[in-house]
Amino acid sequence: MPFTAKSGKFNAKINTVEIGTGDKAIKIGGENVLPFYTFDDAIENAPKVGIEITDGGLDNEPECVKKYYEGCATVVDMAKKAVTFEGVDFLSIRLEGGDPNGENKSTEELVQLVKDIAEAVDVPLVVCGCKHVEKDAELLDKAAAALEGKNAMILAAKEENYKTIGASAGLAYKQIVGAESAVDINLAKQLNVLLTQLGVDGKSVVMNVGTAAAGYGFEYVVSTMDRVKAAALSQGDATLQMPIVTPVASEVWGVKEAMASETDMPEWGCQEARGVDMEIETAAAVLAAGSNAVILKHPESVKTIKTLIAELA
Amino acid sequence: MGKFITIGERLSTTAPAVNKAFTERDPEPIIKRAKQQLDAGAVYLDVNIGPAESDGEELMKWAVKLLQSEFDNVPLALDTSNKKAIEAGISVYNRSKGKPIVNSADAAGRIEYVDLAAANDAIVIALCNGEGIAADNDERMMFLQTLLERGMEHGMEETDLWFDPLFLVVKGMQDKQLEILEFIKMISDMGLNSTGGLSNNSNGMPKHIRPIMDSALVAMAMMQGLTSAIVNPNDLRLMETIKSCDVFKGNTLYADSYLEL
Repeated sequence: MPFTAKSGKFNAKINTVEIGTGDKAIKIGGENVLPFYTFDDAIENAPKVGIEITDGGLDNEPECVKKYYEGCATVVDMAKKAVTFEGVDFLSIRLEGGDPNGENKSTEELVQLVKDIAEAVDVPLVVCGCKHVEKDAELLDKAAAALEGKNAMILAAKEENYKTIGASAGLAYKQIVGAESAVDINLAKQLNVLLTQLGVDGKSVVMNVGTAAAGYGFEYVVSTMDRVKAAALSQGDATLQMPIVTPVASEVWGVKEAMASETDMPEWGCQEARGVDMEIETAAAVLAAGSNAVILKHPESVKTIKTLIAELA
Repeated sequence: MGKFITIGERLSTTAPAVNKAFTERDPEPIIKRAKQQLDAGAVYLDVNIGPAESDGEELMKWAVKLLQSEFDNVPLALDTSNKKAIEAGISVYNRSKGKPIVNSADAAGRIEYVDLAAANDAIVIALCNGEGIAADNDERMMFLQTLLERGMEHGMEETDLWFDPLFLVVKGMQDKQLEILEFIKMISDMGLNSTGGLSNNSNGMPKHIRPIMDSALVAMAMMQGLTSAIVNPNDLRLMETIKSCDVFKGNTLYADSYLEL
């Protein structure tokens, strides 16, 4: 009997979300097939790669990343430099210094930095909070206001602060709202429902369903992403058809495999190579599991992942 | 598996207010009842215009156009013994939200409704009945095969025949209930779709009892593989049960707000 290949394309598709404005604006999502299943149907928008810097500037970077920013005196200088690295589609600024349990920088100071960066670069912007839910509600609200008209991505609204951030970023300032859950598929769906019930257009929502560095409970990350895509595509579940954005850098550049120095762990070899490997492996895996964008730190990782996407998508 | 498909039954000439509205072509009561059902989560709406022997074609067209223009091309089940009226309804039907359903065929005098569905690329509700109610599951299966073959002969997709085991009233036919449930499993095991007028089971029972019986039956029937039912979507208990069963069956992903979706 002749074999007839059956297309695995679905009737449903992931929402297309545009981030940024003008020539450098990017689109993510739009696909009606599983990740990189180009043999089933063309992928409407290839996954995108962002580079991350923080308000902490050079002091905050691993040694192996610092050399790429040589000569940068300020965070704005770093931003300008970061967007020149090969493969960068967008810039992410993580405001971790805002954490009240850490440096506790003021909202005004951090929002001013975001404004300065927005004036210095023309790529799409992502603003990540400090992971403290109350501070983030304030910080991301003000950042969304400061970036009005930039169509930026605000990462992220969580269960505890979605009302403030959703109302500000989604309703008042028309930014793209990130909905963040921590490897909990039911909460991922619930948060999307809550944001849309608040009045935020589901087509301006992206999800961060949580991640981990490869090896750190990573199978749960993959199965969560798999199930999100399965529900979105095969069950046509509109509450899960938001594209997935995964901040990889902030997870990877915190684990010992990436951070332990060669002096401490001589048997592990070169620290930079390890860190870059961890970042590439994690990013490649979350892309294969369905992420529509990844946020990385090391310029070599960005370049490599960009090549991988170009080959597969 | 996809979500359970509910077909709202409240647009029927058996309700005097609806009958009057159909006769007088009065849109208000029709739209009101349709909206109530859709707001409550009905997927399809059944449009039962009765025998409509004199003006069925014109009436069905009017009803289809009215409902689809008012409710974003809501998918409909066209329910009448007047075949020409069903064809007329399909001629103005917009399929963007789902194929029309022909309600209904059986394995005896109404078998030509299968041909009608086939000719119009529609779904057909196929009652596993002959001239009378099937005596047992062997007979039901024989009727099912007759209907299935008829559909195949006319080039239908087998999943476009939605087999109705015919739910029977508990008061008087309690001993038949498990048999019906077993038959639903047989349909499901064949990879076929099923539907039926679920609330038949509770006919003649006190009003406050019916939602309880209907909910219990739908849960058991869904466990057996029932894929759709013709229901009163404004029965909150029933709809909550269906949504909950969809979660247990993995037809939909759970979220705390699942009852609001």
